[in-house]
Amino acid sequence: MIEHDVVCPFCGCLCDDLELVCEGGKIVKVQNGCALAESTFMNDVRLPSPIRRTESGWEDISYTEAIKETAEILQGADRPLLYGWSSTHGEAQSIGVHIAELIGAVIDNTSTVCHGPSILAIQEVGHPGCTLGQVKNRADVIIYWGCNPIEAHPRHMSRYTTYATGFFVPDAQRERTVIVVDTRRTDTAGIADEFVQIEHSGDYAVLSALRAIVRGKASVIPAKVAGVSKEQLIRIAEICKTAKFGAIFFGLGLTMSRGKYKNIRNAIELTDELNRHTKFVISPLRGHGNVYGSNEVFTWMTGYPFAVDFARGIAFYNPGETTAVDILRRGECDAALIVASDPGANFPRAAAAHLAKIPTVVIDPHVNATTALSRIHIPCTAAGIDAAGTAYRMDGVPIRLKKVIDRGYPDDAEILKKIYDRLNGGKEL
Amino acid sequence: MKCILNTGRTVPQGTSVEHKGSDNYRSVTSAGFLNPVDMMMLGIEDGDRVRLTTPAGYIVLTARPAEGVARAEIFVAIGPYANHIISSETHGTGMPDFKSQSVEIEPTEEPVKSVGELMEAIGGLRYDRT
Repeated sequence: MIEHDVVCPFCGCLCDDLELVCEGGKIVKVQNGCALAESTFMNDVRLPSPIRRTESGWEDISYTEAIKETAEILQGADRPLLYGWSSTHGEAQSIGVHIAELIGAVIDNTSTVCHGPSILAIQEVGHPGCTLGQVKNRADVIIYWGCNPIEAHPRHMSRYTTYATGFFVPDAQRERTVIVVDTRRTDTAGIADEFVQIEHSGDYAVLSALRAIVRGKASVIPAKVAGVSKEQLIRIAEICKTAKFGAIFFGLGLTMSRGKYKNIRNAIELTDELNRHTKFVISPLRGHGNVYGSNEVFTWMTGYPFAVDFARGIAFYNPGETTAVDILRRGECDAALIVASDPGANFPRAAAAHLAKIPTVVIDPHVNATTALSRIHIPCTAAGIDAAGTAYRMDGVPIRLKKVIDRGYPDDAEILKKIYDRLNGGKEL
Repeated sequence: MKCILNTGRTVPQGTSVEHKGSDNYRSVTSAGFLNPVDMMMLGIEDGDRVRLTTPAGYIVLTARPAEGVARAEIFVAIGPYANHIISSETHGTGMPDFKSQSVEIEPTEEPVKSVGELMEAIGGLRYDRT
């Protein structure tokens, strides 16, 4: 049987044109997908049943037991942390927010170590963005800044930019100019029309220089800015000013390097300057399949996109204080629920180490590094493979993930709802 | 040699990300890509091991040459190896210095640890029954 128009849940592109060949309840072939999609669907090894860490090792336990013990851990905690959420659907994320509100927890999602700084910048100066469809059909200048889509979003260029035929850009490869800005000469840089190699942490300075040039103040720019020649900066500014429609995509090269959210603010303000000459947009390349959805769900339920603290009985948001890494490194939380993510692998050691000191419960389809740090790991469905649900693409477009096969696992939303009901004295959500 | 540790995604890291106990994940996330000139300065060849030290600790990686990496920089795929030595300080933003951690690099004969060993070093217990 061939399943058409399947959505890949791996990265923020949420490519929705995959064809999966299924035989005997298994996915045997993936068509149209990238290497990441193929691995996601074909190499999906799960934890068979819930496990609990004991003094002598790991033991299998029932779902009922695992859910009961998880509820007891969360009920008994003074400062619980609920973290992750970006690789599951909105339905599970929303129950997570309900649990956080009920027990006065901190709830944070993976954007905290991804595009959290981008959100801080957008809160300061706004987001002149658009959908990927607009970029595909209109953009004749594409800038990839501090990102490497060939590795992280392998089909971004073929579906929306460099190689994508658009309504107003019928001969994409000839009509689109691609500029790549990075500290590394990546594979993406290798196919750029202009590669701007900047010195480490030089992004803020280069963005400021471009803003000055676009504003007509090229005379104040020195011969080199963070390793980039003034001639190249003037050339880039001219390409941007004469574009019919320009689109900047940026990655963690801006959010994680020195300056963090101030880099993004500067990039947005460059976009603002360019809009005095032509149409220009800017958007982050979001990593996890539904990380944008976690920001959406958190925002419409609490008013804040990540790092929401319910300890006061109301939603409180203060990145740097209520963000997961900060709470863990201060040793502040006394229990953790980790859903659809792996802070054991992706947080600095000092933060991850705290998870092993407190009762940590993982709800995730796969064994990961955090499993080793947890007390209980409850396996569940994987959104987009054996569970349907809503996810948000990196440009904010909601897309329905399909249930392609049934593997007999409970949905994480169902597990979370049972935990909520127990925490709520048996009263259903 | 003083370098800046830069981390990021790669396709091999992405295809093995749900198999953290696998040899493949260990090999792709414990590879440190250096400019060939810096490797020459360190006196190491492709596949030799290097020890990266920061105030947060140290980690052993396998050195790989990459022309695209700038001098005085080392690129490592995101994962538990790089994070083992990255400071948890976020400067009030929630975001650690995943792309700007200063490291000291030196050749070493020490072996590269497994992900399970890294997690056990911080109080974890590996689960390897799948």
